[in-house]
Amino acid sequence: MFSSFLMVGLTTMYDPEAIEGYSTVNYGVGYAGAESALIDEFEKRPDLVLHRTDLDAALRALRDRRVAAVVYVPDTPPDAEEPVMLTLYLIQNDLQSSVINVKLKEVLQGYEEELREVRADRRTSFPIGLNFPESGGGENFFEFVYGLLIPLLVLLPAVVSAALIIDLITEEYQRQTLETLMSTPVTFREMVWGKVAACAILVPVQAGAWLLLLRANGIAVNNAAPILLHVSAGGLFLILVGALVGLHYRERTSAQFIFSTALVVVFLFVLAVPYNPFNLIVRLAVDTASPVHWLVLALVAGATALLGWAATAYARRVGEAAPGTR
Amino acid sequence: MSLVSSIRTIATWELNRSMTTMGRNVLPLAAGLLVLLVLVTVFAAQSGVHMQDGIYRIGIDDPDVARVVATDSRFTIGLADGPALRENRFAYDVLILNRVVYVADTEKGRAAARTLERDYKSYVARVAAGEPDLFAAYPLWIDLKYVKSEIDFLATQSGQQVGAPATTPVAPAPSGPVEVVTLPPSAVPVSEDDLREQLAEVGSDHPLARYTGIFSENGQGAQLQTPSELSPPLPFDALVLVFVFIFPLYFTSQFFMMSVMNERVGRTGEPLLSTPVRPSAIVIGKALPYFGIMIFVSAAITLFIGVPVTILLPLIPVVIFFLANALIIGMAARSFKELSFVSIFFSTLATSYLFFPTVFANTHVISIISPLTLVVLEIQGEGFTAMEYVYSTALFFATSAVLFYVGTVNFREERLFSEKPLASRLADFVSGGISRDHPHLSLFLIAAFTIPFVFMAQMMTLVLFFNFPMPLSLVLLTVSAAFIEEVAKSAGLYAAARERPGFLTVKNLCFGAIAIGFGFLAGEKLLLFATLAQITESIFGSILFASLQVLWMPLLLHIAGVLITGTFLMIGGRRAYVPGLLVASVVHCLYNLYFLTGVLL
Repeated sequence: MFSSFLMVGLTTMYDPEAIEGYSTVNYGVGYAGAESALIDEFEKRPDLVLHRTDLDAALRALRDRRVAAVVYVPDTPPDAEEPVMLTLYLIQNDLQSSVINVKLKEVLQGYEEELREVRADRRTSFPIGLNFPESGGGENFFEFVYGLLIPLLVLLPAVVSAALIIDLITEEYQRQTLETLMSTPVTFREMVWGKVAACAILVPVQAGAWLLLLRANGIAVNNAAPILLHVSAGGLFLILVGALVGLHYRERTSAQFIFSTALVVVFLFVLAVPYNPFNLIVRLAVDTASPVHWLVLALVAGATALLGWAATAYARRVGEAAPGTR
Repeated sequence: MSLVSSIRTIATWELNRSMTTMGRNVLPLAAGLLVLLVLVTVFAAQSGVHMQDGIYRIGIDDPDVARVVATDSRFTIGLADGPALRENRFAYDVLILNRVVYVADTEKGRAAARTLERDYKSYVARVAAGEPDLFAAYPLWIDLKYVKSEIDFLATQSGQQVGAPATTPVAPAPSGPVEVVTLPPSAVPVSEDDLREQLAEVGSDHPLARYTGIFSENGQGAQLQTPSELSPPLPFDALVLVFVFIFPLYFTSQFFMMSVMNERVGRTGEPLLSTPVRPSAIVIGKALPYFGIMIFVSAAITLFIGVPVTILLPLIPVVIFFLANALIIGMAARSFKELSFVSIFFSTLATSYLFFPTVFANTHVISIISPLTLVVLEIQGEGFTAMEYVYSTALFFATSAVLFYVGTVNFREERLFSEKPLASRLADFVSGGISRDHPHLSLFLIAAFTIPFVFMAQMMTLVLFFNFPMPLSLVLLTVSAAFIEEVAKSAGLYAAARERPGFLTVKNLCFGAIAIGFGFLAGEKLLLFATLAQITESIFGSILFASLQVLWMPLLLHIAGVLITGTFLMIGGRRAYVPGLLVASVVHCLYNLYFLTGVLL
């Protein structure tokens, strides 16, 4: 119940016209002013009921919420030199206004079409005509779910894990538990990689759980395995960045601050590059990815390997410098 | 040392310390990252966001038609001749052959067709905008006017619908006096060139683009619009506000949280506690710099986006609320991991409390419980009254005050440096407020102090359930309200029983229950009189606050609830706490339902 409410809200934010599909009620519209072809347009719509009255009464009814909108049409003839300027009254700051707005837009576009035909001889250029089939339905979840929700959901675990490794590493320093840990036969490098591995394993597990949950909700995601590979590679990259930042600062506040700022920079940059991992995850999910994605995966994996090597080297240096380690 | 001077000392010290630990290593890198951020933003603005590139495949047999969709990166275009495309038709989501659109019978195909249709419309509009006779291409212009209409909270109760469905074709008769409105003029008040310019500017193809322009346009678009420019007003302006205002506040409060946590890590705060400075001075002094920074950041954002400075007023309680929670979380978390998770959980809760009410902006009274609504109103230029300010911020001030008090009382060595799990630590904080000599007085006070939290939690459930259909929302409200109250009432007793297992005797339990019942009632009445008169009048209010009708009835109910939970605790030990809570909630629900039907009949 609550999740569907959230879903509607989020989709509306992404595409406000989508809410039209959720309303099944009929709306009353007040009509004032001169006769026009707009009345015929309204008659084509079963969900909009026109009430003809004068403007004062119509606006009063709008304030009482007895009608959802009021249209005032001036007596400009359809073939006049100047445009027809009609006035549309809506209720301010109201979810219902958004719905009625979308419905009226279609009616008004129909009226505009009609007026354009009347004035067609005054035009010089015409667009290419395309014949669209009767469109089946109003819902537009597709782009929102596949183009925004899925990449965000599967990459969220990567971000969480990267923040987690900072906590894990800085905690050893700030709580002074590192010396105890180093007195065991574990080397510093092994300690760092152990923490990295623990965080890295969480990423595909969580992302996989999201994909399963989405499937349970009737959202089928294609190419789950390659998507998880991309997520794991990207996640490991972020985790290594987090580990390096944590090792460098050894203090949570600074490390988290630098890391979150760096994260914004990295994400913004990555999103601006064509064929970025986000985009590839989207393409894989809707099954339009070309084999290019293997190349990008290899690139990301290469960068991650490089970073892994750097992290190992850094960990060794830190480990040698620290007292009581071997 | 006087309180003021010690606060000043601590504040200066805190500022110096955080600046030096942060400053030495972090500032150069942070500055570098900031420069990078600006560069990357410029790059992203030029290159665009490539998130949904190539999700659809489209096959076209005519290069002229291909130009229509060429600008939309969501399409991968396959250009070939008709027979070749026909043979390959399953590889495409949409085919355009001889200017006829064929759509694959899948969800994706339909989505692709919708996108194509939109692209086509904007292409048609582009062609029309180039016409020499503008009003032949755009014969219809719309002057959009908004009318203010507030419905009161009782609307749904009295059978009036929030929407305006029309089932009968009969014109609705106006119920009140009709004001005479001057008819709008029929001539266009704007010059043709201006309109042409406006059409050229409308190039925002991407659905996300509208959110980036929300502040630059200062909330209102052009005066006249063509039908295709008509876009629904944003019902969720508030979310943008959450990101612009609340996120920086949350981010800064993290530093305070860390500063508190750092005092506890490795007992570094011990020297501070051994000084003759009072805990209250330490807490206030530590919080003060962050309060200043948060106000400064908000003011900077306000000036930057050019909205009235008065919006800082409703933000102040939010700032204090964040700081109070940061203090408690910083004092309660055992490790950094716990700190991260608890703070993320808290921020989700707080954000939804701030955000969801603003969604229901048409039910005015509900939406105003979030200070963000005041911010929205102020930005829209409507302003808010002092009464509305008190109404929406009282709970924030009250909860923050209680949290700060709890934090200050527990800012002691044995609480700060113990290694206990989160839940028992919180119970410790509560039992820290129970004095050994006057346990019943303490229980009374604790019960009274939980009231703001109970109200806040109940407000959240009210906001969540308000839009559900009527019987369901009532039932959900009844159950959740009862459960929340029972948890709050038993918290003090539970903490006392935990701290001193021998405390729960029959006599003590009875007296404790009576004290809690009285305390709860007193707190409830105080807060209600201060703020919530309007909600209590509605049917929703009578569930939440059913207890106000007759005084001795709710008192008995409160006492009975605590007695039930307490008896379970006494007999079954701590493991019986949850079952006891459930039984008490059921009793509470039954009482509420009885009372409700009594009120309704």
